[in-house]
Amino acid sequence: MALQDDIRIYEKRRTLYLLIALLFLLFFARLYQLQLIYEDEYGKKSEENSIRSIPREPVRGYIYDRTGRLVVDNRPAFTVTIMPFEFDKRNIDFLASLLTLEPDFIRDRLQKGEDFSRFSPVKIKRDIDFQTLSALEENRDRLPGVDYQVESKRVYTTQARATHILGYTKEISEAQMLTHAGDYTPGDVIGFSGLEARYEEALRGREGKELSTVNVRGQVIGRYEDGKLDAPPVEGDDLTLTMDFGLQTFAESLMTDKRGALVALDVRDGGILAIVSKPDYDLSMFSGVTSPDLWHTLNTDEAAPMFNRATLSRYPPGSTFKMILAIAALERKIVTPSWRITCGGSFRIGNKIFKDLHVHGSVNMIEAIQRSCNVYFCQLMLKTGLDNWAHYGEEFGFGQLTGIDVGEENPGLLPSTEYMNKKYGPRGWTKGFLPSLGIGQGDLGVTPLQAACYAGALATQGEYHQPHLVAAMKSKLTQMADTLRFPSRTISLDPETWQVIREGMRRVVEQPGGTGGLARVKGIEVAGKTGTAQNPPNPDHAWFVGFAPFDNPQIAIAVVVEHAGFGGTAAAPIAGMCIERYLYGRLVRFDGLASIRSVKHSPKDTVPKPTVQN
Amino acid sequence: MYSYLKEHFDIRTAGITIALVIVGVVSVYSATYDAKASEIFQKQLLWVALSAVVFLIIVFLPYRYLQFVSWPSYFFSIFLLLAVLLVGRKVSGSTSWFSLGTMRLQPAEFAKITTVLALATYLARSDVTLQKVKYLALAAGIVGLPLLLILMQPDTGTAIVFIAMFLPLLYWAGASRFTLIAIVAPPIAAFAALFGTTAFLVAVVVLGVLLYLTKEHRIVAAVTFSVMVMVGLSVQLIYDRLKPYQQKRIATFLDPNADPLGAGYNILQSKVAIGSGGLFGKGYLRGTQTQLNFIPEQWTDFIFCVPGEEFGFIGAAIVLLLFMALLLRGVSIGSTVKNKFGSFVAIGLTAIIATHVAVNIGMALGLLPVIGVPLPFLSYGGSALLASMSMAGLLMNLYANRKEY
Repeated sequence: MALQDDIRIYEKRRTLYLLIALLFLLFFARLYQLQLIYEDEYGKKSEENSIRSIPREPVRGYIYDRTGRLVVDNRPAFTVTIMPFEFDKRNIDFLASLLTLEPDFIRDRLQKGEDFSRFSPVKIKRDIDFQTLSALEENRDRLPGVDYQVESKRVYTTQARATHILGYTKEISEAQMLTHAGDYTPGDVIGFSGLEARYEEALRGREGKELSTVNVRGQVIGRYEDGKLDAPPVEGDDLTLTMDFGLQTFAESLMTDKRGALVALDVRDGGILAIVSKPDYDLSMFSGVTSPDLWHTLNTDEAAPMFNRATLSRYPPGSTFKMILAIAALERKIVTPSWRITCGGSFRIGNKIFKDLHVHGSVNMIEAIQRSCNVYFCQLMLKTGLDNWAHYGEEFGFGQLTGIDVGEENPGLLPSTEYMNKKYGPRGWTKGFLPSLGIGQGDLGVTPLQAACYAGALATQGEYHQPHLVAAMKSKLTQMADTLRFPSRTISLDPETWQVIREGMRRVVEQPGGTGGLARVKGIEVAGKTGTAQNPPNPDHAWFVGFAPFDNPQIAIAVVVEHAGFGGTAAAPIAGMCIERYLYGRLVRFDGLASIRSVKHSPKDTVPKPTVQN
Repeated sequence: MYSYLKEHFDIRTAGITIALVIVGVVSVYSATYDAKASEIFQKQLLWVALSAVVFLIIVFLPYRYLQFVSWPSYFFSIFLLLAVLLVGRKVSGSTSWFSLGTMRLQPAEFAKITTVLALATYLARSDVTLQKVKYLALAAGIVGLPLLLILMQPDTGTAIVFIAMFLPLLYWAGASRFTLIAIVAPPIAAFAALFGTTAFLVAVVVLGVLLYLTKEHRIVAAVTFSVMVMVGLSVQLIYDRLKPYQQKRIATFLDPNADPLGAGYNILQSKVAIGSGGLFGKGYLRGTQTQLNFIPEQWTDFIFCVPGEEFGFIGAAIVLLLFMALLLRGVSIGSTVKNKFGSFVAIGLTAIIATHVAVNIGMALGLLPVIGVPLPFLSYGGSALLASMSMAGLLMNLYANRKEY
């Protein structure tokens, strides 16, 4: 080539060198950017790609009663799962026939699970029996992606049901997934009612995670870092209840075939000893699989077995409320205990007539309580007035939530002047409304739990403890039991007032002429008050509230039996036997049984003998 | 003996080639590693051995043979490209393979080399001057014929390589600046149009000024300019008529993050693989992206991720430096060879390798869209490896005979 060409060649060579250098400069800059500046970001992305965190359900905490008896246990249960990305949807019909499920049910669950992740197992059926398990095993080759997990299910170890208190666990709903974002995955079990729901956080424990390495198809290749970074699940805390399941079983047996509620508590701290709401149902129906039919039956049952009457039902308290009026009248110095009236068997105000069972003749306050004289309290209510009465009702916790640590509760209804003005208009109600309130009727509603707390406060001369079910929680991590503290307050009244009221209540049970004689317990002085709450057009509700022993109270109790008539005959014996069972640890008399037999909700049903344990 | 070797054996190109082939073998092993050496890896080893033999033959081939076989080999390639369209095997949507027993051949890989040989022969003719449109058009025809056949397979990646290698060769052979700008202006305008009106206007203005600066005859310049504008304007029209998957490909290229699980998946995973490598890498056979197959068919077009992820910035930089050294060496040989034909061949081959490297690594680094072009020496694939080794052999042959006219 000519010299001129040579010069041009060098020029061109320089240009090409420059272009090559520029290209690689760009590459180096990009490499620097990706690998040195954004290393963390891409490193994280690559980890998210290849590491799958598989949640490990913790073992749910156990529940014990106050005597240390195991009440709620866990048992392994097999759950059938489908891994969506491995599963062939043509197998749905076959799988459905093995599991005796509707194909659409499987299709629906699979779809929901797939929407969450194609790479995490979808739980299809919980708690399959051994036969189904073997059928699955036999057909495993035909059903790729179908597997099972061992989970635990709740087992109830005592004869007591305590349905509404213990509550049940259930698979988490979509709505709950939203409120508990991040803590649960679909298919996880969550406490749905009762203590299971209220103490969910403690009972559940902490979900663990197992890190696995997966390939691009999501198949697990092995443990990530040999499991060094796995977080084992932390077992849930154990609960120790204030309840005595011996008493609970006994109380439930006494209430069998009745409708109503019973609450017994330890007057010294407000711990619930027994709490019954009938009718109820067997919680073990809910552990494992729950069929939609069962749900439907329970939800539409006219007797409302799902409903916790002990905390949610608002009953008119009837005569059990008379002590509130007596206290108000004495504390506000409206009358003295010796104030007397002469009972002629009825009391008339306007066109309303209040009848008494008997003609009581001349009665003072103690006698009026003892014999439950309506005429006395109708007249006393007119003297005392609504506001004084309502004030002491409030002091004893009526018209407000007790704060019990389980489920929902109803505040009840305690009317004030304000309430009456609002409901009837300032001129819409008259003094004529008062006598019925004085005898626990009318615009007044209390829950059996409130009634029991009231009995407790009367027993202790004003120690009002917040009722509660859990005494202590024991952490599995620290092995430390943590005793729970609940607030208490004191209702301070004149000692003479306490003396009069309590003497009246003692006589109700212990003295001839008292209405609650059937609550008597051999060797123990019991105090109480019966109530027969009118509930037109239906039969009356039978009430009894009381406590024992009189001098050194330990247990307070409230019993209500719906549509059972007289409190003295239907409710008092139940209360008496529970007191006996609790304080003696066994029944020392059986003469009360006859009167219980005569009270049942449906005449067709037979009443089983009360079961006595220990 | 030593001085003879130094004079006639290009030890540097040989060293770079061997180094790159080793990096390739190591990378393919890792990308296909699954608790044991895979079938793919064993096949690749076989190809390495075969390519080494061909490489050595080409290095010591008598120089005159090259020019002598250039036209016959060109037409033989055309024949193969035609044949593959008729009897070829369809692999992932394109008919570009011949099956020879268990081995598959891709004629397009060899057509690149034979086209460079033919073009170099033609441009080296004393009567051919690129100042005349007739010769320019004929030169374009030599490239255009195989290009057309390859587009019919269709193999967009290889087609791009054909266009890209043509320009440096024209430049080297003395085409005017105007010619070069006129050739690149329409595609640039079209590309800019995809990014919107502003980008298009900027590109038109810049290219217009450049055309004006070449001082070409006004009418010729004006015609070129209008062609460029029309191409750009028609891009939008064509885009609207493209099939949805084609539109998606373009959209994904413009913003790979927009569709991370669809068409942008490969690029995103490739960036994650390289980015997560950091300075020193995750260690050989320990790259999670590579070992857990997050990048589909990584051993072919995304092989660069392996050194990037497992050996980090240092490993990737070494690979880049090797390629840069090879390209600079190619240009250097092109400027040293006294013979015109030889000089053109050297530049043409260097342009082919440069295009492959630019497109492939640009894609792996997320700078370019997914274009199926193998990375020379590294990517799995017999035909590509054989072609790469042949090109390295040719460069060495040219170096050995650089002083012959």
